[in-house]
Amino acid sequence: MSQLIGDNPCRPRHFRPAPCGPAPTEGPAKDALEISHTRLLIAGALFVLAFMTIAARLIEVGGFKSADLHIARLHPAAKPDIARADIVDRNGTLLATTLDVPSLFANPKQVQDKRGTAHALAAILPETSEAELYARLTSDKSFVWLGRQLTPRQEYAVNQLGIPGLDFATEGKRVYPKGNLAAHVVGYSGIDNNGLAGIERGLDDTLKMQTGPVQLSIDARLQYILRSETARQMAQFEAQAATGLIMDVHTGEVLALVSLPDFDLNAAGSAKPEAMFDRATLGVYEVGSIFKIFNTAMALDAHTATLASRYDATKPIEIAGFTIHDDHPLKRWLSVPEIFEYSSNIGAAKMAAEAGTERQRDMLGRLGLLHAPSFELPELGVPMIPRPWLPISTMTVAFGHGISVSLLQVASATSAAINGGMLYPPTILKRPDGVPVQGQRVLSPQTSTDMRKLLRLVVEDGTGKYADAPGYVVGGKTGTAEKAENGRYATHALMSSFVGAFPMNDPRYVVIVMLDEPKPHPGASATGGMVAAPAVARIIERMAPIVGIQPVDENSPEIRRSLMVGSPSPQGRKLAAN
Amino acid sequence: MIGMIRLGTVLWIVVIAAVGYAMFQVKFEVTRLDQHLGDINRDIAASREATRVLNAEWSLLSDPQRLDRLNQSYLHLTPVTGAQIGRIDQIPLRAQAVAQNPQLASAPMPSKGAP
Repeated sequence: MSQLIGDNPCRPRHFRPAPCGPAPTEGPAKDALEISHTRLLIAGALFVLAFMTIAARLIEVGGFKSADLHIARLHPAAKPDIARADIVDRNGTLLATTLDVPSLFANPKQVQDKRGTAHALAAILPETSEAELYARLTSDKSFVWLGRQLTPRQEYAVNQLGIPGLDFATEGKRVYPKGNLAAHVVGYSGIDNNGLAGIERGLDDTLKMQTGPVQLSIDARLQYILRSETARQMAQFEAQAATGLIMDVHTGEVLALVSLPDFDLNAAGSAKPEAMFDRATLGVYEVGSIFKIFNTAMALDAHTATLASRYDATKPIEIAGFTIHDDHPLKRWLSVPEIFEYSSNIGAAKMAAEAGTERQRDMLGRLGLLHAPSFELPELGVPMIPRPWLPISTMTVAFGHGISVSLLQVASATSAAINGGMLYPPTILKRPDGVPVQGQRVLSPQTSTDMRKLLRLVVEDGTGKYADAPGYVVGGKTGTAEKAENGRYATHALMSSFVGAFPMNDPRYVVIVMLDEPKPHPGASATGGMVAAPAVARIIERMAPIVGIQPVDENSPEIRRSLMVGSPSPQGRKLAAN
Repeated sequence: MIGMIRLGTVLWIVVIAAVGYAMFQVKFEVTRLDQHLGDINRDIAASREATRVLNAEWSLLSDPQRLDRLNQSYLHLTPVTGAQIGRIDQIPLRAQAVAQNPQLASAPMPSKGAP
């Protein structure tokens, strides 16, 4: 037995030789054989199973086409490789996009004729000097940029040179097809796709992460109307600068925002600082009589005055060494509508004094005029408010002096004054359709109704006649502020503005135009009612058909009744005399 | 015994050959599909880039400032004023107008329509 198994020392222990002698029938040898047998069977079965699985899989993969869809799902199509999302207006019009453009780089170690190469490239790349190119080509790095974001013509010229060691890399270049149309809204980004201004900076992270476009609340058509009309007015009155803003009063969406002078976003690097400055959101100004909107709303809402109240405007107010006088003095007692219509500073100051500093500060705070609003643009001005808030401040703030706010804040607060009393946070992003906007009640609906009547009165019969666009029931308020220069007011330098809204029987849009230092014309002073109001009228006339507002008969009984100001009653006189 | 081994071996050789053939077929098919997928992805990327360029160009061409410039040189259209827009119900029916004022029967159509 032992010599039978032990005859070949190299033979595997489990190998069972063909029986050539009597099979072991008993003892440890038999046990060993049976163990080997079982192990062999198990191993064999495992192998068969493995091969069967492979065969089955092969048949499945090769034999049935139904697996394609499943495989296709495992390999999704290439994701769009965009470094930065597009920016579009509310109708999907493209305002900013990223295009692939070639950038030229070199491996200096492979460039043979460095001086010749530098000379040839300098002719193609005018931004970089020959010496600079030569310095880069002689550096001991193995990668140097020679020219970023070349034009197709430059790319062709470089290829024509055929210099070895030069190569192109594709880079995303930010392109702004509308140029300067909405320069301060869109903003611009740097060569490495970092947002540097406007929404490009404000939503930099979103633009880098998101694949779909970022949709603004801006309407490119209204933006153009606003820009062309403010530019026209600015040229006509030789103003230093001009600003405009259109807002939807029921959502707080900014539909157009213009700050002139502006700049071409595709050449933002060479823009002048005064062109880059966003006068609509970053600049804060004393807006003058426009503040009478908020002053009157405050007095009406606090019931310290009614539309029938009257105030003594017979002579200027002397307070703390200052004199408050009227630009169009009527020298008599004025009702609240008259104070508003003829923009009486004396009347407004007395209204504010009667209501008191606390009420005034509370209302201006609620209207969002005392703190910077939350807004998506990073260029956001902080209002300058009286500190301390003296009684004289209360009086001057009533007609918009001694307090500086941005036009964006004025637009929001004016919207709240006429839309039924709800303050909606301003936004430059399109609000989703069908989702109700979260607002805050700041005025009673009755106050808002009264304010509509007063604003209409100004255009119908007061200082804002030139803002009238027949058929669109325009209302508004003029503002003319003397610019503060070195701590004193300069009478020759004015900030002239007009805030308009339409249609006043059911307000939808607020339109603001402001001119910085307009020069008076023969027959036209440089006041808000003369220089800004006509622009507002033209803007409304041009934008109404686009936003789908039909002209109405302004003398129809329904509209007359909805905007009629009740005649002053005797109680008003008594109330004011208190 | 030897015959049986031969038969088994032949059978297995045939199976191995078939499986090997099938496997290489699948492998080549996969390589081909992979190339195809790469081609499609490149096409998609190129089309996307082309779309972006065309969108940018369309935006450039439809720039309102440009359209206004073209209008001023070729069409001379001016903005619509409120007075030019009317509603269909503001136009009186001729029969009604004549009934109210018989003199209109011989007059041309009234021109007063819009507000």
